[in-house]
Amino acid sequence: MTTAIDIQHIDKRFGRIKALDGLDLRVETGTVHGFLGPNGAGKSTTIRILLGLLRADRGRVQLLGGDPWADAVRLHRRLAYVPGDVELWPNLTGGEAIDLFARLRGGTDPVRRDELCQRFDLDPRKKGRTYSKGNRQKVALIAALASDVDLLLLDEPTAGLDPLMEAVFQECIREACAAGRTVLLSSHILAQVEVLADQISIIRQGRIVETGSLTDLRHLTRTSVDAIVDSSAAQLATLAGVHGLQDIDGHVRFEVDGEHLAVVVRHLGDLGVRGLTVRPPTLEQLLLRHYGDESTRHGAVA
Amino acid sequence: MATVLVRRPVLAAPGQGGGRVTGTGTLLRFMLRRDRIRFPAWTLGLALLMGYFATALETFVESPADLEGLTAFSGSPAGALFGGPGFGFDDLTIERFLAGQYGLYVAIGAGLMGLLTVVRHTRAEERSGRAELIRASVVGRHAQLTAVLALAATMAAVVAILIGGLMASRGYGLGGSLLFGASVGAVALVFAGVAAVTVQLSEYPRAASGTAGALLGVAFVLRGLGDMAAAQGSGASWLSWLSPVGWSQQTAPYVHDRWWPLVISLAFALTAVAAGYALSARRDFGAGLVPPRPGPARAAAWLDGPLALAFRLHRASLIGWSVGLLAAGLAYGSFTQPLLDGFTDAPEDMVAIMGGAENLLDGYLGTMGLTMALAVGVYAVLAMQTLRSEESEGRAESVLATAVSRSAWIGSHLVVTAVGVPWLLLVAGAGMGVGAAVSTGDAGSFGGLLLGHVAHTPAVWLLLAAAAVLYAVAPRVLPLIWVVLGYGLIVGYFAPILEIPASAVRLSPFAHVGEHPLEEVSVVAVLVLTMLAAVTAQVARLVFRRDVVGRT
Repeated sequence: MTTAIDIQHIDKRFGRIKALDGLDLRVETGTVHGFLGPNGAGKSTTIRILLGLLRADRGRVQLLGGDPWADAVRLHRRLAYVPGDVELWPNLTGGEAIDLFARLRGGTDPVRRDELCQRFDLDPRKKGRTYSKGNRQKVALIAALASDVDLLLLDEPTAGLDPLMEAVFQECIREACAAGRTVLLSSHILAQVEVLADQISIIRQGRIVETGSLTDLRHLTRTSVDAIVDSSAAQLATLAGVHGLQDIDGHVRFEVDGEHLAVVVRHLGDLGVRGLTVRPPTLEQLLLRHYGDESTRHGAVA
Repeated sequence: MATVLVRRPVLAAPGQGGGRVTGTGTLLRFMLRRDRIRFPAWTLGLALLMGYFATALETFVESPADLEGLTAFSGSPAGALFGGPGFGFDDLTIERFLAGQYGLYVAIGAGLMGLLTVVRHTRAEERSGRAELIRASVVGRHAQLTAVLALAATMAAVVAILIGGLMASRGYGLGGSLLFGASVGAVALVFAGVAAVTVQLSEYPRAASGTAGALLGVAFVLRGLGDMAAAQGSGASWLSWLSPVGWSQQTAPYVHDRWWPLVISLAFALTAVAAGYALSARRDFGAGLVPPRPGPARAAAWLDGPLALAFRLHRASLIGWSVGLLAAGLAYGSFTQPLLDGFTDAPEDMVAIMGGAENLLDGYLGTMGLTMALAVGVYAVLAMQTLRSEESEGRAESVLATAVSRSAWIGSHLVVTAVGVPWLLLVAGAGMGVGAAVSTGDAGSFGGLLLGHVAHTPAVWLLLAAAAVLYAVAPRVLPLIWVVLGYGLIVGYFAPILEIPASAVRLSPFAHVGEHPLEEVSVVAVLVLTMLAAVTAQVARLVFRRDVVGRT
């Protein structure tokens, strides 16, 4: 398996603020790589370095076998980028912008473009300034997905999209993956990345704190369960993987490690469940749980 | 236990008129905070400009004979066109000359201050979406417009007081000084009112300031025609009374000291403001009065590279500038015959001072060439400023993420603008040529005029390249380029009167080519300026290539 993105130990400072602090990231060709982190963790900075828009202060960056700063133009022919906050020219229509981006990249497939416009339900005749945020996002997504490239760099690409369009987006990413494309998908929502990514890297305060396949990261995911039961839930506490059990008059709250979820749910069923809420772990919970100490240490330094 | 009585703010009762302007005071303070640099820069800047004119003139005028020399030009129709009606120029004093000749330019500056201030805090805020947040708070429908008008009125008053005080402090008559200050402030007020209307019409802040600015230009030309007719003693001198700038000049400070023309200004400003309020109540938030239309679903086949994109982005502005410069050229060209007529009626010694009627024509046409070159310089600088917004608003990033290099990106914008420069000069020259030919019934000056205009191209190129270097170094220092343009204007117009030393004059890029047809075009200057511009543009490209994107 070859490597599409290989970042080794890069630093980037903006004045006195250290945005990236020894970041490493490897993305294998043909995979969807989830790039997870809270706001301000350094996701966009990393992607801009990959695009050659910023230059790393230190470290080595390889993108599709080239140097993103020196070979920017050559590499950009083989990749497409969708920023989290798409800005369009106010007096160009969405259709014009899509065609323009495709042509600037060096190739366009008009059939695929029209098909994507339909799937994303975009009216390409409207001027850039009249689009809502979600529609501007669609313009950039269509331009990226319609081009025949090896790598998609997507920086929180679905911000502002409704759930229906989010589903279309997921479908398109699966198709891209099936066509052998590599995708770097950055997001701050774990659930969004989970459904698409083969590999996940978690960035926090400028460095990667966790990386691996979903199974590798299973130990990180802990589901919150909130249930109303008829009989006493005390026995649940004895099960493996259950944490922080509270039982107040039949209102049970606890958290359970992902790998033990099946067993716990079976036991829960025996208790006569009358109401049940199960929440997947959020990135914030996950980071708090596993890196809480580190955050205070970093906070003290910064 | 003590009871604490919490006083809650009393809300304006619904249905009361006060509800529409709720929050005006807070917004005004907020605008003052945002404009903490801009406010003193405009007001002090205009006062200092006037102070500079006064100091320079006092240094230059040492004897009554010097004053008479000034009258010779300023009392002529050409002087009236570029100065004013020239009240009391037959018995000239320094303050009369300052108010009558230079007052016009300070007043134009005040007009720009007024209209730009209003656009900045209304339509520009709506366009950016920030106003939506403001309007969603406890803020009345008319609060924003009311607050910015209060701000503009305050700026106008400060300018009036500063200039009035400055003139009085130099020992000129107190009444005349205050009136002169007020007449400058009145122009700011009028064009703030005009902008209150234009911001309602279009969704674009640039269109709003462009329309108001064009009206300021019309006001300048109208009073120019009227004042010229007045100086000749025949013709449509009433045209001056159609111009808001004219009303301010008709106060005749230090001569008649009339305050009543300013009543017209005030009434006009109030009417415009009332119209602005009425129009703003008829439109949706964020919308203009003209609804948007759908555009093409696909890009035209030619829109396929960075150069084509740059052209597409500059196209609207190029068309606008072409139309504007053509109109200005036609207007100024048509002044040619009245100018000559005025001169043949003038006393013989006066004609002699100006070097004869033949030179006067060439001198006028040459000066117009320089004027148009400076105007095209403004175009070039504004074109560079669009690069700044392309970068700060994130669109440059999207383009540079495709197979477009930094060099190609900045280079394509430079090429499009650089090609636009001789084109616009050609259009302006053609307008002047046609206007002059129709006016004099003789097309003989047409070729010379075209050459005289287009010859300035390398000077504007150098300005453009210098602007590009500033932008490449750091986008926020780009506005420094206005200093070069302003310097070129002062040197170009006032070097002889203000006795600016030749070595200082040479610093202006516009001072080398020569004002054809009065002077010969210097081929050496053209070649040297072109080379300098090419080298400077290359520096800009190299500097930009090494920098990151997304700077401020």
